[in-house]
Amino acid sequence: MAAIVEGIGLTKRFGIGDAAVTAIDSVDIRIEERELVMIVGDSGCGKTTLISLLGCILTPDAGELRIDGDMIDPINHDLSSVRRDKIGFVFQMFHLLPYLTALENVMVAMDIAKTKEAEAEKRAIELLTRVGLSERLHHRPAQLSGGEKQRVSFTRALANRPKIIFADEPTANLDSRQSDNLMDLIEELRQEHQTTIAIVTHHEGLRENADRIIHLKDGRIISA
Amino acid sequence: MKALFLKDMRYRQARVVLTTLGITMLISLILLLGGIMNGMRIQAQQYVNSTGADIWISAEGSGGAFIGFSLLEEELMAFLGSSPGLVENSASPLIFAQARPTVNGKPTKAMVVGYTLGNLGGPKQVVEGRMFTPRKYMDYRPEDHVPYEVIVDEKMGLEIGEKITISKDEVRVVGKAKSLMFVLDTPLLFMDIRAAQRVLLENTPYINMMVAKTDSKYTPDEVAANLDAFGAIEARTLEHTLSDIMEYWVDQPMKAVQFLRVMLWLVAGLLVGMITYVTMLEKTQEIGVLKAIGASNSYVMTLLLKQVALISVIGVGIGFCLSYIFAAAAPIFVKINLVESVIVACISLIVCCGSGYLAARKGIKVDPMIAFRGEIDSTPIRNVDMPTTNVALIGN
Repeated sequence: MAAIVEGIGLTKRFGIGDAAVTAIDSVDIRIEERELVMIVGDSGCGKTTLISLLGCILTPDAGELRIDGDMIDPINHDLSSVRRDKIGFVFQMFHLLPYLTALENVMVAMDIAKTKEAEAEKRAIELLTRVGLSERLHHRPAQLSGGEKQRVSFTRALANRPKIIFADEPTANLDSRQSDNLMDLIEELRQEHQTTIAIVTHHEGLRENADRIIHLKDGRIISA
Repeated sequence: MKALFLKDMRYRQARVVLTTLGITMLISLILLLGGIMNGMRIQAQQYVNSTGADIWISAEGSGGAFIGFSLLEEELMAFLGSSPGLVENSASPLIFAQARPTVNGKPTKAMVVGYTLGNLGGPKQVVEGRMFTPRKYMDYRPEDHVPYEVIVDEKMGLEIGEKITISKDEVRVVGKAKSLMFVLDTPLLFMDIRAAQRVLLENTPYINMMVAKTDSKYTPDEVAANLDAFGAIEARTLEHTLSDIMEYWVDQPMKAVQFLRVMLWLVAGLLVGMITYVTMLEKTQEIGVLKAIGASNSYVMTLLLKQVALISVIGVGIGFCLSYIFAAAAPIFVKINLVESVIVACISLIVCCGSGYLAARKGIKVDPMIAFRGEIDSTPIRNVDMPTTNVALIGN
């Protein structure tokens, strides 16, 4: 299968001089099409930094990154367009815009991608209905439960038909029932949308859903 | 979504309303102050223009007819009568002095104009009542009977036959003249020059100035230069006199107001900049999330600038309209010039949008990495620049 994301020798340091910390150290990583990958490791081992590098939010200090076959050059590449067109993000804290309804929160991702409003609304309704939120379309985040917020967040990530979705601890703020429901939904959506998904998690129970588990320790991959 | 910025504004409506209100008040104040100055200019000119005089003569060293202390002897009239360049018998003595008449027991402000009936310097007719009784003799005689009669401004609210006190003397209202206020709504009281000498100059034969018309064969400048050469007097053309009045009665005293207007502009700009900046700080995490999900810098900037522009346009627009309402309700004469106020409104808009833009620029520097931290509604201010990450490389 073709690689959706491929990083070779990825390195990321924070700080300078003696205070410099190497968060990711010469990591080689390959995530293939339609894979569901779990990235696990202790707190502070570099999981979030790794998906930030792979998701073009951070740029590596060394190494090469290819997404969907394209070499990412942080100097000459419009990284926002890469994030917009090829990547979806799901955040631990959901990060829905508080002044928008569930429907509008999904539509905003398509607005950024310059999708026509009518088309965006149609797709957002379809997606939200698919994740079981047809009755909650016009509710604001404050009116939604944690599980519902995360479903909206996942729908927003799916909205622009990304090549890969990176999810950072998506179940950390959910109870076990909500976590199980979300993982079932993610699996179903992966099959339906043929999407590649990489999830950073501490949650042991989620690992059984993964095609592959990447273990990270001190900024290095110790098993994949 | 076309209305994304509107939804955001509605969510923060209290702040939006207060900011708009702040701009509204500042702009209306800026325009109102301009209108007050404009009103002062109009009032400062209208009496001088109404006299029909071309030449204004004051004592040497006075700096001009309406500027410094000027006392002339009436005998100079004889000299003016024979001066070339002046229309025969057009020269007229004039007293123009600030007074504090008591009306119905209450002291008020007024300008007393003493002139000789039928000559330059006063109204040709009254709108109600009659003209005052002129003195009997053309020359100064201290023992003459002086009729204590006055023609008042129609807007003073005085009735014919009513009595007012100027200095120690009681004078009777015999007529009302068409309103012709001096600077800051100071009404004019017209009386015979001898009556004015009695009540204001302790019955001495002095006058403040003389006015005259120039012969059409000469230019006012030539005539003024010729009279100046005499030495004991200063002669000014109408144009020069108006310029002196503007400088002395309006521009100099209003320098502080001009300064205040500039300060108000700065405050308006600061207000918009500050609110945009604070809003941007509050929205740091939202901006980070938008950038993380692919929003470009221009998308974020447009989102912020649309809000700044809308608040500024509404604030300036309402301020513009409100200034006219304030002007109509003001206790003094305020004349807002439409062209000037449009220019002021445009400059205000530029100042507000400019400062909003400067604050919004900070917004586009937000690191999308911030999306991996905290909750949207509890964004710490220190996260704006995210010094721990390589901001320069993720600028796009």
